[in-house]
Amino acid sequence: MLRFLAFSLRRAWQGFWRNALMSLAATATMVLMLLLLAGFWILQAGLLAGLQFVEQKVEVVADLRDDAPPAEVDALRRRLLAEPVVRSVDYVSKDEALARFRERLAAQGEQDLTRYLDTNPLRASLEVKLADPRAAGTITDELRREPIVESVTDIENLVDRVLTVTNILRTAGAVVLIVVGIIVLFIVVNTIRLAVLARADEIEIMRLVGASDAFIRWPFVFEGTLVGLLGAVATLGLLGLAAEPIGRFLFDFFRVLPLEVGSLARDVTLLVLGAGLGLGALGSWISVRTYLIR
Amino acid sequence: MTTMISPGSGVRSWKDRLLGRPASAAEERRDVVRLHDVTKTYPNGRTALRDVELAIPEGDFVFLVGPSGAGKSTLIKLLIRDELPTHGRVLVDGIDVARLPRREVPKLRRRIGVVFQDFKLLPRKTVRENVAFALEVTGTPARRIRPAVDRVLALVGLTDQADQLPSQLSGGEQQRAAIARALVHEPRLIIADEPTGNLDPLIAWEIIQLLLRINELGVTVLMATHNAEVVTALRRRVVALDEGRIVRDEPRGAYHHDD
Repeated sequence: MLRFLAFSLRRAWQGFWRNALMSLAATATMVLMLLLLAGFWILQAGLLAGLQFVEQKVEVVADLRDDAPPAEVDALRRRLLAEPVVRSVDYVSKDEALARFRERLAAQGEQDLTRYLDTNPLRASLEVKLADPRAAGTITDELRREPIVESVTDIENLVDRVLTVTNILRTAGAVVLIVVGIIVLFIVVNTIRLAVLARADEIEIMRLVGASDAFIRWPFVFEGTLVGLLGAVATLGLLGLAAEPIGRFLFDFFRVLPLEVGSLARDVTLLVLGAGLGLGALGSWISVRTYLIR
Repeated sequence: MTTMISPGSGVRSWKDRLLGRPASAAEERRDVVRLHDVTKTYPNGRTALRDVELAIPEGDFVFLVGPSGAGKSTLIKLLIRDELPTHGRVLVDGIDVARLPRREVPKLRRRIGVVFQDFKLLPRKTVRENVAFALEVTGTPARRIRPAVDRVLALVGLTDQADQLPSQLSGGEQQRAAIARALVHEPRLIIADEPTGNLDPLIAWEIIQLLLRINELGVTVLMATHNAEVVTALRRRVVALDEGRIVRDEPRGAYHHDD
């Protein structure tokens, strides 16, 4: 067993360097494909984070009666917070509402007419941010039944539309990722197949002199794994160099938080290493199979 | 691994043979090759062999002759189990090749040395490495490889050229290297498919002489050839194939012009 392993590893190493040009071409293809895969993975992760960000914007706003006692408002707030679908509840007082209104007018360059009012016509409100935007309908209904609630902004239509768009984008992202994965698989397997094809004579001789399938197969599988490993390391190196701009792009474009970039980096590292080693080994296995089954 | 082949009646098991246990007198001259009622039809519908009966006793030297497409190559492929018979039984060293499980095929091939017209040497390996390769890929311990390789290189007369690459050798020397590789597993049968086809007459004779010497050492030799001069001069057993049938099987045959 040890001899077999030593033999296979030595042959894999020799095989890689004896046909260095072919091996490097296979490695280069592997790097390109892994970059493609990692790139799409990062885009997909960014897209998901961005969609989540959009969905978190969904909030139900309940305007409160002016005569609502603060104790009851507080009790309502607590009850809402106890629901799992609710992420946060913010109380906006009448004064704050007016201040925000003025800010918005100023930002739009409109004239502030509110100072001609002698009372504040705006209502205090509870802004309910949802962990799950699909719960908007239920929460709205619940709030409508509360006696201290004057009215609830109807956002169900808006929520539905946002959810439709985000779901389409999620599905599209997953489909694109899977398609890219399959393309990468085919290209890598074909490249390795070329490298194996170049050594068909060797395989034929091995079969003729009575080498068992394992002795024929494993050197090639190890060689493919070596190609995958080198490809993965090179890819990670390139991605490492580009980490800074990638992180900035993700933050600016998709609103991915720096903390999430950290876990994304871990995912991408695992993806690239796993895909590299897996594709290399699988590609060789498939390529050699053609010669063994006869 | 485990014992796998259930030997036919009166045939020693692999293990006995590998351990060098003596054969009983009745088994002493048994058939190394036996084809019984063999027909081979390829998936494309072409029938390469029809109703072939052939027995080659241990120690024989047999010429296999016949025009191109007569079925010589198919016969050889059946013996090394590169192909399976459509009908009939092919026994090599007492083993029914069709019943041999796939994982046992390599062990069968180690009992057969095959030599080709185009030598099939690895161009980037020296003669010594080419011969050693046959042992390495079958898991032979390194300490046993060196002496075995030296022995067969001496037998074929290539000791001085051991560290040269095939491209540095003449055609005859390359074929001798291929024969050394075929011998290194100590096979009971050498199959030579047109071994002199690429060689000029003088060198061809050298290769024939070498095969005869190996035959004298007790190895059965089956040689497919078009070399009329050699076949006729040696007066050995000749099996002639035509259109997939054995049309002639003579103990001291010659090469006929319609072969």
